[in-house]
Amino acid sequence: MGSLFRSEEMTLCQLFLQSEAAYACVSELGELGLVQFRDLNPDVNAFQRKFVNEVRRCDEMERKLRYLEKEIRRDGIPMLEIPGECPEAPQPREMIDLEATFEKLENELREVNQNAEALKRNFLELTELKHILRKTQVFFDEMADPSREEEQVTLLGEEGLMAGGQALKLGFVAGVILRERIPAFERMLWRACRGNVFLRQAEIDTPLEDPSSSDQVFKSVFIIFFQGDQLKTRVKKICEGFRATLYPCPEAPADRREMAMGVMTRIEDLNTVLGQTQDHRHRVLVAAAKNIKNWFVKVRKIKAIYHTLNLFNLDVTQKCLIAECWVPALDLETIQLALRRGTERSGSSVPPILNRMETLEDPPTYNRTNKFTFAFQNLIYAYGVATYREVNPAPYTIITFPFLFAVMFGDLGHGALMAAFGFWMCYKEKPLQAKKIDSEIWTIFFGGRYIILLMGLFSMYTGLIYNDIFSKSLNIFGSAWRNNYNQSTLESNKMLQLNPDSDAYTQTPYPFGIDPVWQLAEANKIIFMNAYKMKISIIIGVFHMLFGVCLSLWNHLYFKRRISIYVEFIPQILFLVLLFFYMVLLMFIKWTSYGPNAAHLGSDDPEIVKTSAYCAPSILITFINMMLFKTDPNTRPQCNDNMYAGQIGLQKFFVIVALMCVPVMLFGKPYFIMKEQKERARQGHQTIEGAAENGAAGGAALPPPQHHDEDITEVFIHQAIHTIEYVLGSISHTASYLRLWALSLAHAQLAEVAWNMLLRKGLMSRDFEGGIFLYVVFAGWAAISVSILVLMEGLSAFLHTLRLHWVEFQSKFYSGEGYLFQPFSFEVILDSAGQGEE
Amino acid sequence: MKGCIFNIDAGYLEGLCRGFKCGILKQSDYLNLVQCETLEDLKLHLQGTDYGTFLANEPSPLSVSTIDDKLREKLVIEFQHLRNHSVEPLSTFLDFITYSYMIDNIILLITGTLHQRPISELIPKCHPLGSFEQMEAIHVAATPAELYNAVLVDTPLAPFFVDCISEQDLDEMNIEIIRNTLYKAYLEAFYDFCKQIGGTTADVMCEILAFEADRRAIIITINSFGTELSKDDRAKLYPRCGKLNPDGLAALARADDYEQVKAVAEYYAEYSALFEGAGNNVGDKTLEDKFFEHEVSLNVHAFLQQFHFGVFYSYLKLKEQECRNIVWISECVAQKHRTKIDNYIPIF
Repeated sequence: MGSLFRSEEMTLCQLFLQSEAAYACVSELGELGLVQFRDLNPDVNAFQRKFVNEVRRCDEMERKLRYLEKEIRRDGIPMLEIPGECPEAPQPREMIDLEATFEKLENELREVNQNAEALKRNFLELTELKHILRKTQVFFDEMADPSREEEQVTLLGEEGLMAGGQALKLGFVAGVILRERIPAFERMLWRACRGNVFLRQAEIDTPLEDPSSSDQVFKSVFIIFFQGDQLKTRVKKICEGFRATLYPCPEAPADRREMAMGVMTRIEDLNTVLGQTQDHRHRVLVAAAKNIKNWFVKVRKIKAIYHTLNLFNLDVTQKCLIAECWVPALDLETIQLALRRGTERSGSSVPPILNRMETLEDPPTYNRTNKFTFAFQNLIYAYGVATYREVNPAPYTIITFPFLFAVMFGDLGHGALMAAFGFWMCYKEKPLQAKKIDSEIWTIFFGGRYIILLMGLFSMYTGLIYNDIFSKSLNIFGSAWRNNYNQSTLESNKMLQLNPDSDAYTQTPYPFGIDPVWQLAEANKIIFMNAYKMKISIIIGVFHMLFGVCLSLWNHLYFKRRISIYVEFIPQILFLVLLFFYMVLLMFIKWTSYGPNAAHLGSDDPEIVKTSAYCAPSILITFINMMLFKTDPNTRPQCNDNMYAGQIGLQKFFVIVALMCVPVMLFGKPYFIMKEQKERARQGHQTIEGAAENGAAGGAALPPPQHHDEDITEVFIHQAIHTIEYVLGSISHTASYLRLWALSLAHAQLAEVAWNMLLRKGLMSRDFEGGIFLYVVFAGWAAISVSILVLMEGLSAFLHTLRLHWVEFQSKFYSGEGYLFQPFSFEVILDSAGQGEE
Repeated sequence: MKGCIFNIDAGYLEGLCRGFKCGILKQSDYLNLVQCETLEDLKLHLQGTDYGTFLANEPSPLSVSTIDDKLREKLVIEFQHLRNHSVEPLSTFLDFITYSYMIDNIILLITGTLHQRPISELIPKCHPLGSFEQMEAIHVAATPAELYNAVLVDTPLAPFFVDCISEQDLDEMNIEIIRNTLYKAYLEAFYDFCKQIGGTTADVMCEILAFEADRRAIIITINSFGTELSKDDRAKLYPRCGKLNPDGLAALARADDYEQVKAVAEYYAEYSALFEGAGNNVGDKTLEDKFFEHEVSLNVHAFLQQFHFGVFYSYLKLKEQECRNIVWISECVAQKHRTKIDNYIPIF
């Protein structure tokens, strides 16, 4: 235990591993995930390290696996998840087997693919030829069509006339081209041949498969008529340039038919062969798909192990590897055990040695978390990783965070919605986790599911206190107020008061939370709630900050900073208590000693008037006057100036003491540091003298004490900043807690607006149309309730709570200058590799 | 004022481009690269840089040409990404950058067909940034006029080509002249375009393009010695947007040997420094390398200013230089010829 309140105690260890056993040991440690290795050769290049060849082999294996995976994905074969446990990292000698397997699979697949591609190319050519024969048939038919005779003559007019009867000797080429290239192709033909060619084209309706990329492409058949050899070479060149494939196309219709028949039979033959090839490929891939995830895990584990081994140093004899690592002190046993397991597995006789080392370096911060505390710890880490062994605010945050949130979000209905969502996520945790939904927003929600659940539950609680459910009240215990006015008074007056001094009030308060009668008080509901919520906010805030300051005492005690307790903690807490905690006390005094009195209903006795609400002073004015040493006489006749006897004198004393704390905070620490430095300088002087006197007795026995004299001006500036921050901070931070009230007010008002403007309209009409109208309006109200009141308001309240924790609370004790413990763990490595892949 | 509204259209892309630029290899990376024993080592080291897994799916053994292809592919993908997300006038600016690759491709294809190479063998050698639809049909043309009428008239290069239309047959000399005339027209048009954009873009780009123009003029002059190119013809090829214009170009047009070119450069501080350090002896850097170095420093300076398009041009050029460096180092590693491995041009 203890890890929750402070980060784990870490030790730097030196690990001697026998060369043969190193691999197995590191693999065991990787499964454990409790050891952070340090790079012992940071100056060595990646490719000059010892196990670079193994890493390279793993890279190569991974490449082959990726190739396999790509092929498997292309065929849409499902890859089986590993059932149950992850496979362990295989022995180094298994690597050769794996390599051989992958090599074989890859070669086989490549061969199959090559064959398939050749076949497909063949197939494509034949299909294209088939289309050409079919489409050109139309062109030739048109030419042969007697009704078109005339057109043909004009088409071939000029040249036909010159060459006499040679019109039919026109040459032609037929081919297939990508459809999107047609316009440019046509233009180019026209330009290059000066318009002396005739192009006909027809689209192939079905998309064809490109054998090299296996994309579906659309193509067109074209036929170009021209005359003469020169044009022919030119046309062919252009066709080549545009990647058009040309096919021989016989002129005679009979030849064409014959050719078409031949093509059809060949296509059929090819289809069977292709089918067989595909079947073979499919078989190979299905077999691979069963294991591929498993292989990936294995290869990644091997690679991670060798990467880690690369961080190690080789000792002089080359017999063993030396590693340095950070280890949680509590887990030394487990690690030893893992190392022993590793040694046994590798069959080595020499056990590995784990030495604890002394170090001056700052150890990494490691807080053990479970799935519940994890999210809260992350909220803290988002601000800064705690300094090593500093008080960890996370456990307190577990309660204060949802609570402060709920103060702002207090609504039973909205809270219940939120709690239900959080509960669903916690209840369905395992199936949802297994789904691995990638959406970033979902990940955030799911990661904070316990926070959401707690926030929802706490909001329900505060909602009950505020007596607020979707802006309405619950009258569970029966209101403590009753209406004493008769019917005629009620009808003739727009606004009536219920006096707590009269028998309109039963004199026993509503047992839990706010009396539901306030829901009906349209004139002063907000005034009443504001006064209440503002005071509550300040009270919560002052206690929260006082708690923060107290935590700093724990830090000082733990790190043995005695001076800091006297010149930092004590003045700080005095300052806060004498000024702000006193204000909180005044609130309680006001609440208890002023108000309607049951025993003296409507009495005019001056003693009783003095304790009535009529005489209650404003806390804010009282506090301001206290700071300004001003006495403001109570302007109302019959009232006392003070809340209790001796108030003025006590307040003056408090302010003076509080102000005197400021110079102590400002100069105390630098003064002591300065004094200490002088002391040390004098002592150092003496020891040197002493050493000189003692002669041989001195020397190297005592190493010089590890301290560095900070620059004293720097200390002053640092302390000045801290003091100013604290003093100004306690004022502004106290005011900052008023956001609890402000957001709560905003939330309540928004909820009320949503109710009045939407749902109430639907509830008002009495006819059956009202039902239909209500049906529509409810949808709008529900949508607004969820999207604006729960989601947006929830987000804003969340952010304000976060700020209250980071700034107002943690600034009192948390420095957050540590760095995170990042153990070597297969789990993390596999997770990140899996994510990078997607 | 331009700076205020720059980010509306191009802010994202500039940020992206600056991000890409941060991935350019540093001197320390080069120091590591030159220590590599094999190409596998090189691959392993490049994995630790921004190149990441760009070679991960290549089966061993690696060849230099695959590395080259992959480097280029990565660059082209990045550039195309920038181009696809750009709007006017940045898109035109980026298009202008690709025109120079188009010119190179055209010349490559014509030269290739002149030597009776099949077009399918030439196409993979073309730079993908400069490819255009009609490119592969270029061998239809036998004369520049045909080339223009049949192929280039639809491409954005058409306005640059107007000066070289003639009915002469395409031969080696002609092609060189076409290339340089095209390039001259292109550079001048690009220069004018940048001027027209104005602001910081003009400041930065005109500086770089002026240097580019001067470099071409000097190189053309030096290369023309001992060929049949007449001085008048030579003068026609000089791009007239550099700092040498007009006096320096006039002097260059009269030059007869290397020394005279050097004497012309003496009048211009930045160029005389380049000629000072260059030499053909062992250990000396060639003039070409000197020019490259100067270009790199100009391009690096482009990143010192904000809210202009020059960063895109400079990024592409720097990245190209980096590709050349990596390929050079890989060649040296592959051929075990380590004495010249340090002849790369560091960028940062």
